[in-house]
Amino acid sequence: MFAVSLLNSCNHDDWFDRESKTLITDQQLWNDPKLLTSLVANYYDRLPTLHGVFNTGGMTELDDAMWSGHRDQNWRNDFQFGDDYGRYWDYGLIRDLNLSLENIAKFSTQLSDAQRKQYNAEIRFIRAFVYFELVKRMGGVPIVTTQLIYDFSGDPTPLQVARSKEHEVYDFIYQELEEIKEDLAANNASKTRANKYAALALESRAMLYAASIAKYNNLMASPITTAGGEVGIPANMASAYYSKSLAASKEIISAPFALYTENADKGANFYDMLNKKTGREVIFAKDYATSLKVHRFAYDNIVRSLTEDNESSSTISPSLSFVESFDYLDGRKGTLHTKNTDGNYVAYPHIDAIFANKDARLYGTVIYPGSAFRGRSVSIQAGVAIWNNNKYQLHAAAQLGQQLKEELGKEYAGGLWTGFDGPLYDAQDVSNTGFYIRKFVSDAPAASTRGTSAANWWPWFRLGEIYLNAAEAAFELGQVADATGYVNKLRERAGFPVNSVTNLTMDIIRNERRVELAFEDHRFYDLKRWRIAHLVWDGSENDTNAVVYGLYPYRIARPGHVDDGKFIFERVRPARFRRARFFRMANYYASISQDVINKNPKIVRNPFH
Amino acid sequence: MKLLSSLLACISLLFVGCEYDNYEAPKSTLSGRIVYEGAPVGVRNNGPQLELWQDGFPLRSYIPVFLNQDGSFAASLFDGTYKLVRKGDSPWLQQAADTILVQVKGNTHLDLPVMPYFTISNPSFQQNDKGITANFTVNKIVNTANLQFVRLYLGKSILTDQGQQELRVDANLSLISFGQPVSILATLPDNLKNLDYVFARIGVKSTVSNEYYYTQIQKIALK
Repeated sequence: MFAVSLLNSCNHDDWFDRESKTLITDQQLWNDPKLLTSLVANYYDRLPTLHGVFNTGGMTELDDAMWSGHRDQNWRNDFQFGDDYGRYWDYGLIRDLNLSLENIAKFSTQLSDAQRKQYNAEIRFIRAFVYFELVKRMGGVPIVTTQLIYDFSGDPTPLQVARSKEHEVYDFIYQELEEIKEDLAANNASKTRANKYAALALESRAMLYAASIAKYNNLMASPITTAGGEVGIPANMASAYYSKSLAASKEIISAPFALYTENADKGANFYDMLNKKTGREVIFAKDYATSLKVHRFAYDNIVRSLTEDNESSSTISPSLSFVESFDYLDGRKGTLHTKNTDGNYVAYPHIDAIFANKDARLYGTVIYPGSAFRGRSVSIQAGVAIWNNNKYQLHAAAQLGQQLKEELGKEYAGGLWTGFDGPLYDAQDVSNTGFYIRKFVSDAPAASTRGTSAANWWPWFRLGEIYLNAAEAAFELGQVADATGYVNKLRERAGFPVNSVTNLTMDIIRNERRVELAFEDHRFYDLKRWRIAHLVWDGSENDTNAVVYGLYPYRIARPGHVDDGKFIFERVRPARFRRARFFRMANYYASISQDVINKNPKIVRNPFH
Repeated sequence: MKLLSSLLACISLLFVGCEYDNYEAPKSTLSGRIVYEGAPVGVRNNGPQLELWQDGFPLRSYIPVFLNQDGSFAASLFDGTYKLVRKGDSPWLQQAADTILVQVKGNTHLDLPVMPYFTISNPSFQQNDKGITANFTVNKIVNTANLQFVRLYLGKSILTDQGQQELRVDANLSLISFGQPVSILATLPDNLKNLDYVFARIGVKSTVSNEYYYTQIQKIALK
């Protein structure tokens, strides 16, 4: 052994000084466009969202839908928004972004000027996006733009950054985006990397939020503020923010984007707009690709009878109040006519006749009784109605898809009893409201299997939203004619005649946002910034908006009568929906974790927490 | 044999407990009521909360204290000094100094004074052939507060409030003058008419807060 050890020799020091084959050095990373692109891809993937990016569960926590999937998540139908609902405090991501910005400045010597500027701008866009997510959920947050590094002096106070004022964070976002937007122009051909128009779209949205908080917070009986301005924006700042939002929106509208109109069928067109990756509507998206990066939104939400896999389907059940928020094309309000003034049911000749002439976006968003998906019609029928003692008695079958034999009497035999797709008011994996979601549910082959999964993309920003942002900002600035034009343009795409709105109100704009942007992670924030969330989700069990209701179709079995074979509709509160949505004042700004306050005593609490 | 005994030795190791990580459960109780001028303040079931804090530890975390709808509360605690905090978005005024020092030793009782925006005094309910009439007086306690709703709630369950009720009748605010008797008449709907009894409560809400001040629940026999 001793002899062998003597045989070692060491005359080449560089043997110890080789480049590692398993480590990437800073010089390599920050000078290689390929490595940098994959680093930035990681940051794009971490862009934050609350109810978006195919978050099936989050979409069932508001008034647009309820959870009808597996019972283990029935708490979504039986909860109240906690103090920490929507809490977001991802300074880990902020640090990663700051570190990248500093290292590009320090190490990226071999990149061209244009490349360096572009990566720098992309990362700053992502950082602005993250700060927007922080400010809309938490109010004014500490603005940290450099790495915070401890100097081991025993004094941590330099690391403790206090919260900025709420408007300062919005100003920071605007200023950042203004500075970088031209540097992003090289990406303009891409829809999945930050480009100039994505920056403008973020400006458009963020400035609109700041403006409406400035306006509507101060119209409350007691505005939600903190003494230091960490929460609450002065009312006199509203019009400047609205103007900034409108300017950004106008620049996007005049750019080469267009509302998606590739399908002549307006309803299918609205669905295709988000499902197909063609057209010029989407400004910035999170993309997916089969066998590479997929999601299971179609698996979660496919109509029960169209499943290609087992164990799950039908998770999101859209609510009746949401379906009724779609107007009729002739300008009537969208309330469905189920009963006459005398209290009798209205009999419809076809199961989908009650939805005839509705805003085409209803078809594009919701699968309702009598409609089709993937070329196959769905089988939604709650049961049969039998005339007895001068009124209809409603009977549902024990099995889904059961044909009516002689169970209810010989004379009623024949025909479908309860559809394969329900609805059932207390079962899982079948609609509890009588509606299924169509929007974002991919119709690609095998998209609803877990093996293949879906690859349709998530639009962070699209032109439809920009039109509504422009309409709202213009309306608030008193430019009513312009605002009406934007709204009408969008409604034409949905099948309405030209100039369908002549007397624009804020309520119309708000309803347009609900129907156009449903399930796109807008409603929670919209209601918050208009300061009406506590009025809409008032926690009252008798409120048709705070409680998710369903609409159950029944086939009339009444031999010899003129209504035999027609359909009546019953408004139902599903048994699985347990507690009305209740948004408290404390939910306008989520509580900051005690852990954060323990570490940084300069952090001021949010109101009511 | 050797194998068996070594196996036994291994298994017996599993039964060894460490006494250092076993704390005794707290034995003291802090209980009390939310009161205004000695009278308990009713709240929504599962509604407003209190917070308990204790100093002297490096990291701070609060103990939530839930309120029963009659305004009573209880918490199991170790003996010591606690800070009790009355939070905002409650039917009472958020005090600038919202913290009360509480010395918990054994079972401690505490009446926690609050300043409601409005109160309701002298509630009484009469059942007649028309329905149920509630008589009461609305009092303004905080001068700057504005009245938003005065409501009569009827329900099948003892937990009856703004969230959970069978019938809600709004008082006409223009007819209400503070300190003067008012009444609300509720006509019983079909689903309540034939019951043996219903529960009744009156709530009052200011524009400032999202929560109501409630009277204590009353059971009204219908038969």
